[in-house]
Amino acid sequence: MKTTLAAAAIFVLTATPALAHRLDEYLEATLVSIEKTRVQAQVTLTPGVAVYPIVLADIDTNADGVISETEQRAYAGRVLRDLSLTIDGRPLKLQLLSWQYPAMEEMKDGVGEIRIEFGADLPFGGATRSLNFENHHQSRIAAYQVNCLVPRDPSIRIVAQTRNYLQSLYQLEYEQAGVPSSLLFWASWPGDHIWLGAVALLLFARFALLWRHRGQVAFPPRS
Amino acid sequence: MRIDHAAGMSTLVLFSLCAAMAQPATPRIVSAANAFLATLDQKQRQSIQFAFDDDKQRVRWSNLPVRMVPRAGLSIGELTAAQRSAAMALVSSALSRRGFEKVRQIVDADETLKHNEGNNPMFGEDLYYISILGTPSEKDPWMFQFGGHHLALNITMAGERGVLTPTLTGAQPALYTVNGKTVRPLGQESDKALALLNALDETQKKQAILSFRLADLVLGPGQDGKTIQPEGLKASSMNDRQRTMLLDVMSEWTSIVHESAAAERMAELKAEINETWFAWSGPTTANPGSNIAAYYRIQGPHVVIEYAPQRLGGDPTMHVHTMYRDPTNDYGRKFTAK
Repeated sequence: MKTTLAAAAIFVLTATPALAHRLDEYLEATLVSIEKTRVQAQVTLTPGVAVYPIVLADIDTNADGVISETEQRAYAGRVLRDLSLTIDGRPLKLQLLSWQYPAMEEMKDGVGEIRIEFGADLPFGGATRSLNFENHHQSRIAAYQVNCLVPRDPSIRIVAQTRNYLQSLYQLEYEQAGVPSSLLFWASWPGDHIWLGAVALLLFARFALLWRHRGQVAFPPRS
Repeated sequence: MRIDHAAGMSTLVLFSLCAAMAQPATPRIVSAANAFLATLDQKQRQSIQFAFDDDKQRVRWSNLPVRMVPRAGLSIGELTAAQRSAAMALVSSALSRRGFEKVRQIVDADETLKHNEGNNPMFGEDLYYISILGTPSEKDPWMFQFGGHHLALNITMAGERGVLTPTLTGAQPALYTVNGKTVRPLGQESDKALALLNALDETQKKQAILSFRLADLVLGPGQDGKTIQPEGLKASSMNDRQRTMLLDVMSEWTSIVHESAAAERMAELKAEINETWFAWSGPTTANPGSNIAAYYRIQGPHVVIEYAPQRLGGDPTMHVHTMYRDPTNDYGRKFTAK
């Protein structure tokens, strides 16, 4: 199967002059949008003419020449599985929000864009945060792009964006103002440690109360 | 034959342009639009005119050939010689002399591509469309569009204001010869940017040159209303000469439109030059007389310019897409919002 697809791709590549459409790459352009408690992104996937057979085989899994609703959703899910997002080193669970497919003819011509939107809730974090995005979908034929939209929330400030040469790895560092200090304190505690911290705080409060009571006994009010 | 026809039309339009240039811009453009409409029959007028609030038509533009992404309105190929002249007179009335020349060269490049591809019906000057949204007026907002493969002019008029964003230019081949003369429709965009890069010192270059590959436009067709985080070298870290060079690069897009609108736009961009960024990705040299093979982006509070060579199986210096936007005022929304 793979050999047939590769042969088809090579045939199309050699048979197609250097025309107006995308040819031998699968453009995967992601735009990331950051809010305080949420990250959302849109991936626009444009298969070139020469790699269309490879991409189509991944979408039209029953090879009936039609991309059904089920296949559309399943492919969007597979794309999502090839992506990863972490915030401050903690993995985020990606939610598939929407998907849009062009006509097959458009994809065949190298001009069809598949658009997939996904998002994830962000746990509370500190004033400085680091979001990492990885895209490994169809890495043999992909041309990756990833950018961050200017945040709508003016209290969020992008500090740095770093990528590897292929843009399959992307790191976004940003600052958020107005995060309550209590949140900053608790956010630095991973997962179940928060409960340990809460218990410790309660014990400390109880100890302080007892100490105060003891002090009142030792030093009775003067008459 | 083709070149004679093109040259004839250009001469005719340039002659009318010179005669009309004495007029203030808005009355001149409105008059040219009405003169063009007067050459059309009722059916043609219905095809070309859209409501000003027709947002589907407003965004119906692309870098791709019209056979791949159909446009609406009337194509140049559907017009008689007189209608064609009137259509081009409308386009030229809204543009500077250099802007109209650039448009003409982009269209000629597509005609060249058609011939190079064995008379491929997907390309050629007949496949450029013109459309009008709203009613041409000296007071009320309206717009007209002219475009096809590698060209999308979206010109919004609002009284004395003329807004050119979003506009897409491109060329394939990006270098060709006419009567022995080499033409590079987007040659200045390439040369001026490379000169700016070469004028930067090593520290500045380190900031300006991105360490990753950019395969295409980030804010091309279909990406209206989006603003990405700027990257590269901020012009506040440039010296006066470098900032002047940066403005000169930008002028290749801002000066497509007629002189008074271009002057106003340049004044706006000059005022915020220190908040403008320059980023480069790709080879830092080019063969003399050839285009760069690198992507670059200029981004400020009211401007995004992208220059993106297209690999597409061939030589990236021969196939270029560019995008010119004002994310805060694409389609002149600032002046036309109710």
